[in-house]
Amino acid sequence: MIEYIDVHKAFDVPVLTGVSLTVGTRETLSIVGPSGTGKSVLLKTTNGLLVPDYGDVRIDGVSVYNSDRAALSEIRRKVGYVFQYAALFDSMTVFENVCTGLPDGEVQRARSPEVLRKICDALEDVNLDPALVLKKLPSELSGGMRKRVGLARAIVGRPEILLYDEPVTGLDPVNTASVSRLILEIRERTHVTSIVVTHDIEQALEISDRVALLTHGKLRFVGTPDEFRRSDDAVVRAFADRRAAAEAALQLVGEVEEETEEEP
Amino acid sequence: MRALARRTIVGLLARIGRTAETVARHAGEMTMLTWHVVTATLAGRVARRDVFAQLQSIGVGSIPLVTVTAILSGVVTSQQGGYQFTSSIPLYVLGSVVTSSVILELGPVMTSFVLIGRVGARITAELGTMKVSEQIDALHSLGRDPVSVLAAPRVIAGTIATPLLVGLADFIGVFAGLVAARFAVGLGPDSFLYGARLFWHSWDLLYSIAKGLVFGFIIPLISVHMGFGTRGGAEGVGRATTSAVVFMIITILVLDATFPPLFLN
Repeated sequence: MIEYIDVHKAFDVPVLTGVSLTVGTRETLSIVGPSGTGKSVLLKTTNGLLVPDYGDVRIDGVSVYNSDRAALSEIRRKVGYVFQYAALFDSMTVFENVCTGLPDGEVQRARSPEVLRKICDALEDVNLDPALVLKKLPSELSGGMRKRVGLARAIVGRPEILLYDEPVTGLDPVNTASVSRLILEIRERTHVTSIVVTHDIEQALEISDRVALLTHGKLRFVGTPDEFRRSDDAVVRAFADRRAAAEAALQLVGEVEEETEEEP
Repeated sequence: MRALARRTIVGLLARIGRTAETVARHAGEMTMLTWHVVTATLAGRVARRDVFAQLQSIGVGSIPLVTVTAILSGVVTSQQGGYQFTSSIPLYVLGSVVTSSVILELGPVMTSFVLIGRVGARITAELGTMKVSEQIDALHSLGRDPVSVLAAPRVIAGTIATPLLVGLADFIGVFAGLVAARFAVGLGPDSFLYGARLFWHSWDLLYSIAKGLVFGFIIPLISVHMGFGTRGGAEGVGRATTSAVVFMIITILVLDATFPPLFLN
């Protein structure tokens, strides 16, 4: 279980102004909201990448900010983090990148068949062929493949919690659907607790047990996808309508394309 | 008129205050970085493999450029000295001038400038790129300490490699000066070495190596510090690299100026 307790964070201006939220074990929660409202900042406070100015985050009852180095290291081992642009180490091959997700003891035995098997399993879990990608550098991969390698690195150590920071940003609709399906598959297979920060409302409603809407540094709404769709809150409606508007626009684009194809 | 003067003074004081604040912040952060590097090293959290890789890159990789710079330093000093000494001072004194100039000053300082350009700028750009592309956050999230993995190996390798490079530059610079003296002013090797021995203190070589040790610690420390503090994408990396180079050059020159009063009096 993850507990955010009255989390405040400011840079030049306040970004988070008192966020309290509990994410249950094995739950998938999506955090949505406009750009610059602190979604990624909140995610980064989960494993100590950013330190809140005030408040606390607890994972299974253990405070992330009042723990010693060993306890923080243990917490980070429990938590896998999928970065917005994958954040792969660009001087390392895919094999070495995924290997960094394993505990130190296994990294030392990186060339053992057992470790190699784990790395191949993680790559297969994200629908990548190890034989094709293991020796490649990140610069030799497409954007979608890099995201999947980032996901493989996050899951190879079998974490109990997975944090996704904008997992579909910059991806085409096919890769977006593929990543959403992967998130669902990983949840089914590993029963991991997941928090997904996304701009894509459709993705959030599709993959989540609950959706949280963050605006102006505070949580505006927390509820199930059905509750989100039925909400009377004006801001939630604006988000839902934006989704409806986007669907209408997509439909219109489809119709225009069909008409263009029909023209001689 | 008085209002303009007041505004000017207030502006000047504000500028001094901001500069002082920046210097204090950098000094504080670098002290903390030094502390973390030392504790990571003493706790055995730095992989020997990473240190050897950096020794190869910082030390072995810099040998050609350090050699060229040392040769040119020795040759130029010898030619300039020879030109000035003609007809007024015994020419064998040139041996002492070249040896002292190269060992006390040119060897350590020119080697440091080579390392700032070749190694320091590269470290800042490399770590800065890692910072803005979230690779350093990725290390944190994987439970790895960026100081142990990235900073300490570079600082340790710089501290080991630079004194050795300075020793090499001293030897090559003096030898190049000796050869140049033969061709520029017709001073033979025996006379050159006679002059060199006449004013030689064995402490001079130690002084030169000590400078190399200090400079070799400070160059990677500043470049790592500036790399870790990079913000703002590709432009930020460029800005951090330029600032790091300026910061390193000024620091080396200031440290160089503090050495004589501390150790040569």
